Amino acid sequence: MSDGVQNQPGAAQAPLERIQCQWCQGQNEKTATSCRFCGAPLDVRNLVSESGWREAPRLRDMTEIHFGESTCQVEGEIVPVAEIHIASGDSVYFEHHVMLWKEESVPLTTLQLPGGIKRVLAGMPFIISVASGQGRIAFSRDATGELVVLPLHPGMELDVREHSFLLASHTIQYSFVRIKGLANILFGGQGMFMDRFVTASAPGLLILHGYGNVFERTLKAGESILLEPGAFLYKDSTVTMAVQQQKLTSGFFGGFGMSLAKMTGPGRVGIQSMYVHHASGE
Amino acid sequence: MADQNAPAAGRTYTCPYCGAAGDGTALSCPGCGSPIDVRSIVSPAHWSEAPGQKDMAKLKFGDSICQIEGTYVPVADLQLAAGDGVYFAHHVLLWMDGQVQVGAMPLKGAFKRMLAGMPIVMTEAKGPGRIAFSRDAPGELLALPLQKGDAVDVREHLLVVATHSVAYDWFQTNIWYKVRIQKGNETETETFYPVGMLMDRFTASAGPGFLLIHASGNVFVRNLRQGETILIKPTSLLYKDPSVQMQLHFEHPSQTFSFFGGYGQRYTWLRLHGPGRVGVMSAFEPVEGEHAQLVGFSPATETRW
Repeated sequence: MSDGVQNQPGAAQAPLERIQCQWCQGQNEKTATSCRFCGAPLDVRNLVSESGWREAPRLRDMTEIHFGESTCQVEGEIVPVAEIHIASGDSVYFEHHVMLWKEESVPLTTLQLPGGIKRVLAGMPFIISVASGQGRIAFSRDATGELVVLPLHPGMELDVREHSFLLASHTIQYSFVRIKGLANILFGGQGMFMDRFVTASAPGLLILHGYGNVFERTLKAGESILLEPGAFLYKDSTVTMAVQQQKLTSGFFGGFGMSLAKMTGPGRVGIQSMYVHHASGE
Repeated sequence: MADQNAPAAGRTYTCPYCGAAGDGTALSCPGCGSPIDVRSIVSPAHWSEAPGQKDMAKLKFGDSICQIEGTYVPVADLQLAAGDGVYFAHHVLLWMDGQVQVGAMPLKGAFKRMLAGMPIVMTEAKGPGRIAFSRDAPGELLALPLQKGDAVDVREHLLVVATHSVAYDWFQTNIWYKVRIQKGNETETETFYPVGMLMDRFTASAGPGFLLIHASGNVFVRNLRQGETILIKPTSLLYKDPSVQMQLHFEHPSQTFSFFGGYGQRYTWLRLHGPGRVGVMSAFEPVEGEHAQLVGFSPATETRW
């Protein structure tokens, strides 16, 4: 092996000399220990259950992720913090309640959103805040869980459970969609909104927070899976979502219904293992 | 020289946690999922820390397989074979495929259970197919494999899933105390059940079976000898062998002590009498009404400082 040549700065590396991240498919230098784009450790097995769910990679404490000219460092493991060093010209947006601290010099503005009233009625934040470089700002959410780092390639569309996104880089377009079919399962008829993140020509970085552990599965076209609605975390926009009722009767107490979300491929579905149980309010 | 890769003929291994016998060549115990070849971690006070399953550990029951996934809020992912079935409280369901047949399993004593706030209907699932469960709190999934004739008492609401071969019953704990609470100008009495009004009892009467329970925080297990006792925080009780008896115990500073007039400064304990196993969890609820005036209680002992 010509290690000496390959490791020289600027030396072009053959494709085989690179390590592909098993989580985001990013190409990394062979000396890297964690993925430059999503932070996943590169030297551990891809943990896939027999049923096909892939566990979101456990990010090592202090892992660094690059996007644009900026970097993100993931700190802590039980309730992890994403600390962003925003470069000049870059910016990130987020819901204000996830902000942990910032340097005084980092300017904050708001993202103008259409449909504000509708969002307020649905309990979603009316204001999305934007932090611009240059400076440092950090985010965390108030529960045990995992940060899911999803580098979005150009031309991707991802739907995310509301209030689950921690931050997104400015190259990602933000909108929201209403899922009418799930109105009665979630939020007592107000309908369920999901955040939709779209990349046009430039890639971007999206970081979500999932309660508990996070698992992902890729559904083939027409393949479907039934989820407890509270477990849903994210999906490709190609995955469709519908309600399926399970009627359970005990014979003498009349029984009860259980509503599940039927997700049908093609595309990725992400779930969290700790969830809000809407039927009981627990 | 013996081939190191040959099957371990004649080699035996007994899991220190669930007692399942095997040859020790698997990565984790097929009975309870604890890692094999790891020395038991026992504190000087004789509590053993439940080993916690390795991520993706596989447990076998009947012709079915359970895989434990994740470590903060672990998921039990079951591959049910045709003819195998499990039951669970419906709120622990995480996902399932369309093949699994789900239905209701009525329970006897429904009215009493409803009064006690326990589920009156269990949901059952029949194979073939895949179904997964998790609960809404960081903690551990503990597998309790039961041999034919074995039984275990589990604190209410902690069952995640049990196989059909395990019979489900419950009993009154008879662990309670009544306190007088001042609310504005009104005085009310309220009864508290620090380990729950009812406790679940699972018995493998028909054949070997398996149940999974969820503990908040970490799990510690201890085997009490005949006549040995231990005081635990009542709300930390996770499970016990049916041979272990429970009783309330109060401690007070002598200045404030009076069963019918004492305020505050009271410590409420649960005394467990051996023989048998007891399991506690490290994240537990506060004991309700601990500092209010006691007006009655189930059989108890007391110590004054």
